[in-house]
Amino acid sequence: MNRLPILKIVITHLTSRKRQTIVSMLGVTFGITVFIFQAGVITGLQDFFIEKTINSTAHIQIYQDKNQKSPPVLLNVYHDEQTWVSVPNIKSKNELPKLKRGLQIVEILESYPEVTGVSPSLSTQAILKLGVADVSGVINGVNIRKENRLFDLEKDMVNGSIIRLETVNNGIILGSGLAESLGALLNDNITVVSPGGVALQMKVVGILDTGLRDLDNNRAYSSIRNTQKLMNVTGSYITDIKIKLNDVDQAGVLAREFQSRFGYSAEDWKQANEGIFSVFRIQNIVTYLVIISILLVSGFGIFNILSMMIYEKMNDIAILKSIGYTDIDIRNIFLLEAVFIGFIGGLIGLLIGFVISWITSVIPTNIEGFVSSEYLNINFDPAFYLLAFVFGLVATSIAGYLPARKASKIDPINIIRSQ
Amino acid sequence: MIMKKVLETKSLNKYFYKPVEFHVLKDINLSIYSGEFVSIVGPSGSGKSTLLYAISSLDREYEGEVLFNNTELKSLTNQKLAHLRNKSIGFIFQFHYLLADFTALDNVMLPGLKLGKLSHEELEEKAMQKLDLLGIADQATKKVNRLSGGQQQRVSVARALINEPRIIFCDEPTGNLDSKNAKVVFDMLKNLTREFDQTILMVTHDDSFSSETDRQIQLLDGKILNRETR
Repeated sequence: MNRLPILKIVITHLTSRKRQTIVSMLGVTFGITVFIFQAGVITGLQDFFIEKTINSTAHIQIYQDKNQKSPPVLLNVYHDEQTWVSVPNIKSKNELPKLKRGLQIVEILESYPEVTGVSPSLSTQAILKLGVADVSGVINGVNIRKENRLFDLEKDMVNGSIIRLETVNNGIILGSGLAESLGALLNDNITVVSPGGVALQMKVVGILDTGLRDLDNNRAYSSIRNTQKLMNVTGSYITDIKIKLNDVDQAGVLAREFQSRFGYSAEDWKQANEGIFSVFRIQNIVTYLVIISILLVSGFGIFNILSMMIYEKMNDIAILKSIGYTDIDIRNIFLLEAVFIGFIGGLIGLLIGFVISWITSVIPTNIEGFVSSEYLNINFDPAFYLLAFVFGLVATSIAGYLPARKASKIDPINIIRSQ
Repeated sequence: MIMKKVLETKSLNKYFYKPVEFHVLKDINLSIYSGEFVSIVGPSGSGKSTLLYAISSLDREYEGEVLFNNTELKSLTNQKLAHLRNKSIGFIFQFHYLLADFTALDNVMLPGLKLGKLSHEELEEKAMQKLDLLGIADQATKKVNRLSGGQQQRVSVARALINEPRIIFCDEPTGNLDSKNAKVVFDMLKNLTREFDQTILMVTHDDSFSSETDRQIQLLDGKILNRETR
């Protein structure tokens, strides 16, 4: 019964000053809408990119670091602290980046329960030629079935099929960007020239479009055997082992384990994409700063409107106090009004934010750039909605509390006497 | 017959400090008894309203003592004071002081809602009775800013009555009304004291009204002129 009179006053205040109420609600609504939309677009894009990246790069990649320079042999002789050894122009050992016992390592890796797929491969730079067009690219020699199990290549095929890589002699699958710059279509014959000077005639058996521009412009797939021919090496020669895991978050730990076990470099997907993730972190900071400043602005809006309202309601406050309403009642009235504005404005904001996000997600945008995608991928994570709503409520409560406390301290005698 | 003291002041003094120090109330000793209809009269500037505010709990910056039912007002917390005003005190001001956004009925009900003794329905019925008693039951659902001055003042009388207070303080209740309406409102107040034994303390500068009250306290330059008779 004690709360009821306050509620009645709150509702009357809000409904008798409809325009003020709506304006301050709009402030909150706008803030929340922008919050939802911006967070949805930015994190949606990031999630899309991360998902694509995780899908198209290995969780762990084992390879030999070609640029490992051996320490000068002089150090074996002079190693006390007083001696400085300086040897300029140390060259890398003339050693191919071959993974020795590579196929045995593959077998060992397959026995790990955490590992869901292993694909041995070798890759080389090559020039691809079709008529007068020539483009450089990276040829990946893979066991296409194993590779497909890791990266679901089949899903991204826009032309041809992966299985023809096994059935067609000298088959090659091109990235969509690569095919485009070559002007190559399905079943065209192209010439591939390796840095070692080996040239092979190859037949385009498929075109692949992952959505990641960098990969699509560079990458081509061929069989291990053909790539070994291009590189002029023996049948056991592989340079990389790509691994997929059950749990991507274990990649870091397992990468370190593999590195020490096999003696080759093992890089997990986070390290491989470090640059992107640091860009994302900065992007997220900027996003949250923008959102917080918008909510701050709407908080100030509410603060102003409530302050003004209290000014207008001085008489009401004096009357309410003279008929027995306590300081706390008065404070709660204005605080409740602010919370009410925040609550309704926030709900509407969530709704509008959702609708705008949804509309954006179904309108084809055909983004070309960092990633290419027909639709904007928008994150509808309920956590954002909850966060936005809570943040909106907290901001309006703080904005309302200050004027409300001021109102509670008004002494009715000052108002009554001044009449 | 032993009359019960509702209110008593002991050596009440009050100063204004701005713009210059000014001794407004000088050594006021008075008592109000249950069922009395008392008026405070005097020329403007004599401190009538200031005295009313001090003894009605609105203004607690005084020296001396104000005892309401034998409780010193200054000793109360804000919370207790609010409860006292709610339960035991009714106010009627010169400029009616109603909440403009509310209907007449809501205005009358507000103190009762705060007190919370009656259910909403019971309270509404009681408020209607009070409005009926004052002859404005037909205006109950109108917003108060659509009522005439006389009607508004009657709404504030009804509001003062709703919690059946020990005492009603009136500050120039007829001061803002034309003579006809002033008479109506005053007669209603008088009626309350006669028929319902309501204790009323009224500040007025209108001698024709004050002469009809049980007792007049004459104030001049912050001093009581006539001696307490009881």
